[in-house]
Amino acid sequence: MQTSFSADQLRDPAIADADRVLRTCVHYGFCTATCPTYVLTRDENDSPRGRIDLIRAMLERGGAPEPPTVHHLDRCLSCLGCQTTCAAKVDYARLIDVARAHIESNFRRPLGDRLLRGFIARTLPHPTRLRVALRLGGFARPFARWLPGRLGAMAELASDRARAAPGPAAGVYAAAGERRSRVLLATGCVPSVLGGHVHAAALRVLRRHGCEVVVDADAGCCGALSLHLGREREARELARANIAAWAAHAGDRDAGGVDAIVVVTSGCGTTLKDYGRWPGGEAAARQGALVRDVTEWLDALGVRPDGSVPRYRVAYHDACSLQHGQRVTEAPRRVLSAAGFDLHEVPERHFCCGSAGTFHLLQPELSRTLGKRKGGHVDAVGADIAAAGNLGCIVQINRHAATPIVHTVELVDWATGGPRPEALAGMALRAPRTEAVPPAHTDHPISPPAAGGDVGVW
Amino acid sequence: MNQTSLESFFSDVGRALGTAGVNRSAETVRRYAEHTMACGDIVPSGVVYPASTADVQAIVRAAGRHGVALYPVSTGHNIGLGSKAAARAGQVVVDLGYRMNRILEIHDKLAYAVVEPGVSYQMLYDELVRRGDKLMLDVTSGPPQGGMIGNALDKGAGYTPYFDHFGFSCGLEVVLGNGEVLRTGDGALDSATLANWHTSKYSFGPILDGVFAQSNYGIVTRMGVWLLPRPPVVRSFHFTFPDDSDLGTIVDLCRPLKMSNFVPTLFRVANDLYLCGSEGESPEYAASGGERSISDEGRRALRAKHGLGAWTVSGAFYGPSVAATEPMIQRVREHFGQGGKATYIDHADAPRHAALQVAINAFSGVPSLGELGLLKWRPGGGNLWFLPGTPMDGAVANEFQTICRRIYEAHGLDYMVMNVCGPRFARGLHVLAFNRESAGERARADACYRAMSEAVAGRGVFVGRAPIQYHDHHMAQTMASYRDTCGAIKSALDPAGVIAPGRYGIG
Repeated sequence: MQTSFSADQLRDPAIADADRVLRTCVHYGFCTATCPTYVLTRDENDSPRGRIDLIRAMLERGGAPEPPTVHHLDRCLSCLGCQTTCAAKVDYARLIDVARAHIESNFRRPLGDRLLRGFIARTLPHPTRLRVALRLGGFARPFARWLPGRLGAMAELASDRARAAPGPAAGVYAAAGERRSRVLLATGCVPSVLGGHVHAAALRVLRRHGCEVVVDADAGCCGALSLHLGREREARELARANIAAWAAHAGDRDAGGVDAIVVVTSGCGTTLKDYGRWPGGEAAARQGALVRDVTEWLDALGVRPDGSVPRYRVAYHDACSLQHGQRVTEAPRRVLSAAGFDLHEVPERHFCCGSAGTFHLLQPELSRTLGKRKGGHVDAVGADIAAAGNLGCIVQINRHAATPIVHTVELVDWATGGPRPEALAGMALRAPRTEAVPPAHTDHPISPPAAGGDVGVW
Repeated sequence: MNQTSLESFFSDVGRALGTAGVNRSAETVRRYAEHTMACGDIVPSGVVYPASTADVQAIVRAAGRHGVALYPVSTGHNIGLGSKAAARAGQVVVDLGYRMNRILEIHDKLAYAVVEPGVSYQMLYDELVRRGDKLMLDVTSGPPQGGMIGNALDKGAGYTPYFDHFGFSCGLEVVLGNGEVLRTGDGALDSATLANWHTSKYSFGPILDGVFAQSNYGIVTRMGVWLLPRPPVVRSFHFTFPDDSDLGTIVDLCRPLKMSNFVPTLFRVANDLYLCGSEGESPEYAASGGERSISDEGRRALRAKHGLGAWTVSGAFYGPSVAATEPMIQRVREHFGQGGKATYIDHADAPRHAALQVAINAFSGVPSLGELGLLKWRPGGGNLWFLPGTPMDGAVANEFQTICRRIYEAHGLDYMVMNVCGPRFARGLHVLAFNRESAGERARADACYRAMSEAVAGRGVFVGRAPIQYHDHHMAQTMASYRDTCGAIKSALDPAGVIAPGRYGIG
């Protein structure tokens, strides 16, 4: 795509970055078919290709953007499905970040919008404030279904998460048996409040597989929430604080450095892996390179099931941040299979569930439509359990699917000697399938029908 | 086609379809003008979105009344062949995929699906997964978003035993140029109950389906497609060969395996750049400013990096278990091992060579994006596909390789080709990747395409699918009576000439 920025504009590093990205877009249009909002609305301006054009026009013109431009850019989920499907490898993630920062700096939103976005930015990245907000939100719980749009979504959030269990305390936890590696378990902001049970499961699994685990109290939000709200300065401050807090852990191993920074919430993992692109110098790049999704690390270690959990059918949902943001698709499947589960694919695996960070709070209607669509697909698999690697997806699918959903690491924990996940408590699961299915080595693992259920004779 | 006629046409269509059925906004029209070919954008007059066969009839009748030329597309993802662009500027694009994208039926017992034009490979794949993964569809190695009807009507193909997408379609519903609806095959029976429309292709009367492939005689609004019961095990095999001239040996080795159908899939015989090109950009493009083809040293370096050969051949077996396929794998290893130049890559190791993942997906009926990386080989988004074929004779295949490789190099382009081999014939998928933003490269890509098409035609070889930019060019290569016959059929089925004039050089 041709651009026409002035030399003066291009002196701004963000504009120069955007210009570089814009020039790589050649309008093949593959992105339109995998963009959730375009598929729902069929509006060119709700597609990545259309948004790229809107961003170009907005940045070239400079100053305050047109309200319709903001409307369409606000409806982007940042699921990055477009990036996976783009043949020209357009760095859409960077472009939408630049666009959001431009809007935040140059556009005056309506009052309600400003208040809500400000509340999210000042609350979610701060665990103490979030706990207080959830407690207060608990009072609105009974009225959630009657509250309009965004207020209803906020109240639902509180109702979903009010009873979250606490996570592991800060400290250094010894490996069970011989120490094979030393890792830092990143607990973050929202996950530290709402994903305590997931962190506890990850801690048990990692220790069981020979990891000495550091749980750190000094780090906080990775910056993703602020970044996606266009508050780039705040995001960078949060990232800088994290980088400083982890400086010692990311150092030389002989001096207490870790082999990996393990993340259980893939939305955070995507941003943490990207620290190398942020200002922060060598330390940021080093930390970014150490970040691993928990399934990547367990895959490298080799999962050792104890054989006590039957081979239940599991529908694995790919969180967008894992499959599109980090391109991690095989490790979770290998880990679940190695743990002894009968893995099944969810149709439209490339498609977002509609949670998408703060999207479900800011665009509740679109989010609900996508959630219902994904929930239907998850249920259609007919699995006993669904699994995902991102807390947001788990909450969203839990709302829209009848199949119980847990974090991948909770299943691995269960299969290797840990407790049955709380979400499965008291639930009767079907007798498992017994025959083994050989690996297909395809991009989308295949689950042929059980013996007797096939159409042909092989 | 004058402005008054156009306004009247859009007014009629708007009344019949509602406001959601017409789009003439500048931003939309601009999108539908875009493509990857070597010519400029082809700007349509507008876009209409039918939601049903009745809507398509209304559009065709309105076009006939006002003398407006239409151009139907299904999903418009036939990159390198025209995308969503019309055959000629000013035509009205009928985007069937926008609202006619329903899977009308999946018959689990008889293993077929019935789809509308907007149903993509990914959509049907997802639905088959949802229904228990019992049935497998044949996919292309192109965009998962590609439409099944569009691909079949353009004589597109995949790689499994059901590779021939038009051949494995069964039963069409077509809106003709006069607005009447035709059902082909056993669907021609004048009955409210049609038991065999999508199970039997050849019952009473002439086989009419064929005239709707690569033509402009009607708008297909529904198609049956046969599906293969999913095999419990798909086991691929791959062999690399070190030298360009090994192509002849490979073709001669593949032929008997396909003649006896010992190997159920087609063979993908891809050269180094076709495979490595999907994994990154040309390492030498910037240095030469796009003026020169990649060097032999550059190709050798890519082969070493990706663990592939000058040629790599891939195929697959299906079976009830890994053990059941093992003897066949051993047999095929011995067969390709003759001559001592082949290096074997087995099914489990193949995904480590990223470019081979596409082959495994394709043999397994799984849509995938991997091959789209070819579009990034050079910047600027230019892409043409030149699709001649050769008989499955090694000496002939090598001769054509020499000719086309020389023409690519003479035009400063990079020779990227995959021969998809059956028992008697191989389709040569030649990719011309170029910088469409460079006028010089556009001109060289155009000249390269034309030079190759003349060179192979001079040796008795015709193309298959072709970029719309060259439809008139290729039709001019046919004998006079063929052209006359095509014209006569057009006059009979679309007397007002409203359906895609110029497509495949007809009308």
